[in-house]
Amino acid sequence: MEKAINRQRVLLEHLRPSSSVYGSDSSISASACLAGDSAAYHRTAVFGDDVVIVAAHRTPICKSKRGGFKDTYPDDLLAPVLKALIEKTNLNPSEVGDIVVGTVLAPGSQRASECRMAAFYAGFPETVPVRTVNRQCSSGLQAVADVAAAIRAGFYDIGIGAGLESMTANPMAWEGSVNPKVKIFEQAQNCLLPMGITSENVAHRFGVTRQEQDQAAVESHRRAAAATASGKFKDEIIPVPTKIVDPKTGEEKPVTISIDDGIRPNATLSDLAKLKPVFKKDGTTTAGNSSQVSDGAGAVLLMKRSVALQKGLPILGVFRTFAAVGVDPAIMGVGPAVAIPAAVKAAGLELDDIDLFEINEAFASQFMYCRNKLGLDPEKINVNGGAMALGHPLGATGARCVSTLLYEMKRRGKDCRFGVISMCIGTGMGAAAVFERGDAVDELCNVRKVGSNSLLSRDAR
Amino acid sequence: MPVFKTPFNGYSVKFSPFYESRLAVATAQNFGILGNGRIHVLDLPSSTSPQISELASFDTADGVYDLAWSESHDSLLVAAIADGSIKIYDLSLPPTSNPIRSFLEHSREAHSADYNPVRRDSFLSASWDDSVKLWTLDRPTSVRTFKEHAYCVYSAVWNPRHADVFASASGDCTLRVWDVREPGSTMIIPAHDFEILSCDWNKYDDCCIATASVDKTIKVWDVRSYRVPISVLSGHGYAVRKVRFSPHRQGLMVSCSYDMTVCLWDYMLEDALVGRYDHHTEFAVGVDMSVLVEGLLASTGWDEFVYVWQNGTDPRAF
Repeated sequence: MEKAINRQRVLLEHLRPSSSVYGSDSSISASACLAGDSAAYHRTAVFGDDVVIVAAHRTPICKSKRGGFKDTYPDDLLAPVLKALIEKTNLNPSEVGDIVVGTVLAPGSQRASECRMAAFYAGFPETVPVRTVNRQCSSGLQAVADVAAAIRAGFYDIGIGAGLESMTANPMAWEGSVNPKVKIFEQAQNCLLPMGITSENVAHRFGVTRQEQDQAAVESHRRAAAATASGKFKDEIIPVPTKIVDPKTGEEKPVTISIDDGIRPNATLSDLAKLKPVFKKDGTTTAGNSSQVSDGAGAVLLMKRSVALQKGLPILGVFRTFAAVGVDPAIMGVGPAVAIPAAVKAAGLELDDIDLFEINEAFASQFMYCRNKLGLDPEKINVNGGAMALGHPLGATGARCVSTLLYEMKRRGKDCRFGVISMCIGTGMGAAAVFERGDAVDELCNVRKVGSNSLLSRDAR
Repeated sequence: MPVFKTPFNGYSVKFSPFYESRLAVATAQNFGILGNGRIHVLDLPSSTSPQISELASFDTADGVYDLAWSESHDSLLVAAIADGSIKIYDLSLPPTSNPIRSFLEHSREAHSADYNPVRRDSFLSASWDDSVKLWTLDRPTSVRTFKEHAYCVYSAVWNPRHADVFASASGDCTLRVWDVREPGSTMIIPAHDFEILSCDWNKYDDCCIATASVDKTIKVWDVRSYRVPISVLSGHGYAVRKVRFSPHRQGLMVSCSYDMTVCLWDYMLEDALVGRYDHHTEFAVGVDMSVLVEGLLASTGWDEFVYVWQNGTDPRAF
């Protein structure tokens, strides 16, 4: 790409006007082509090698301990979404090269076993391997990125990236004692801060007010409620048949959970303003403007484009780039503000090219900070609500966002070509991935030059 | 006269010195910025075929910026490739056996190639790596590298009389004249205030040379007294990309420009601009005059068309 930019630069010098036409300080300059223009963003030489998403589904997200999945085994959350991927695409499950599950709180080996069991429940043969990945809150996205990377590396052609979290079964906790050495290493010490404190740090350091935060929470609930009411989640949600035990009588009742139960359509600023700060006496982070503690799972079916075309599967989206970055653990919430530009740049795009964002609302403080820091249009972010309304089942969130983002991009049509998913990560990191609408390019237009053969960019036209 | 549509953007066109109806075209995908290249060898219409026919074509992994016919073999072509390589093609062999040589020494885009017309045993390549290299067909590496220019060298052209003398035009705004027997350049002419994109020797006066520049002018120089140009030709609206002297008339030149026109000049006349053709719809970057047929012109450009026409006729009329 650099070579192309250098060539452009040399050729542009030839057009440098020596006098009159443009005046002495020329306005012509070489720059990376923006999306929509001829050569656009980073494209692989071989179109068929793109990693595409052909299906993405999730369970409803339910409040932990009190919600719809309080009596559901974690593997029973994962199995339905895995099964849905197969059923909706009519794929032969034995063709799947790997299932990677992002999951955070459960003990590593036990959860790995549960995931393997879930694959059997979902009807996968023993020949399909399963593993887990843990990058805290971005585990689901990391799982999808890992599968995309493996497909690109040629390890296999079809893979599933998933996410699973039951915060009912595995609450956040620290096991054993803490190494006293952390006292000497401030950054290591900060890794132990409760997430709420890091949120207070962000709010304090960057001056995010309580009212701004509450306002963001109200908006999140409003959008999520509107999306649910208009059936926008219908395509992505897989209803989960399970049971609920009545806490008083101990009576078991079979139910089918099919909607997110954390959304409060009637949340108002004045209600939220009454809540007390949880983490700091004079703080701003409350239960209302933080993400909810939830249970849920999501799964994404990825494959090489050539395989998808061969099977005649609809292409929902293209996985373009992924970036994980590190930030100060004491203000871990700023992660997306660093990760998003990195991922977008890697895709050869600029922030303006992105039409839709899913930025995880771990806390309203960090969400607002990242939004303002990057100067993003609020109308492009979390248009169907975020984690404050839907909930944040840590390991599942990334996979959940993929389905929410891609289905919304599908609804928005051609005007919505690129989307970004990002989240902050406890202990000071951020992750972001760039997706493209599946039908934005086809094989022909991938090789085709600009139709009119005009040298002017779309901006100049 | 006929027109040929190339799939990629045209970069250069050259008439064969052996066959009056044959020419070769260098093309590059995506305006030469990114992508593949292709060389087309074309035969002009004859009594047997009324259309331009493609005799051969060769694909390259990067754009082809220029080519030169061998002066010693009628089937050999030298191509300057954007990846810095110089490749030799033999038309008598099938495309699968081509190229017969590939020299990769230039570290940046190779922008021009010129075959020695006097000794007919060697050729020059000019590159954006600021150097000019001298090659022969039988050596695996270049014979010499001439590196004095401070920026891209766009063109290096042999003197039509002296087997060892050539000139080079560079983006460092100088024209240099070299003798391959000498260690360094023998002459440095600060010919323009802006980049010089092309130069060519007069075929009838071995001391006369023309330069074409981003400053939109063509200047004609006498190397014996180069303080002032013999003539300054203005008329192009943008940078002049290429200039060629006529093999048939002493004062006649053809040029093509980013202003999308091809112009004919006679620097000895008071009104030097003797013809202008605006048949291209994009930058006109390649132009040539036939040695074997007087007045036969060919041009190509980023509009992906190759035009061949007789001077005085409309290139688009066929």
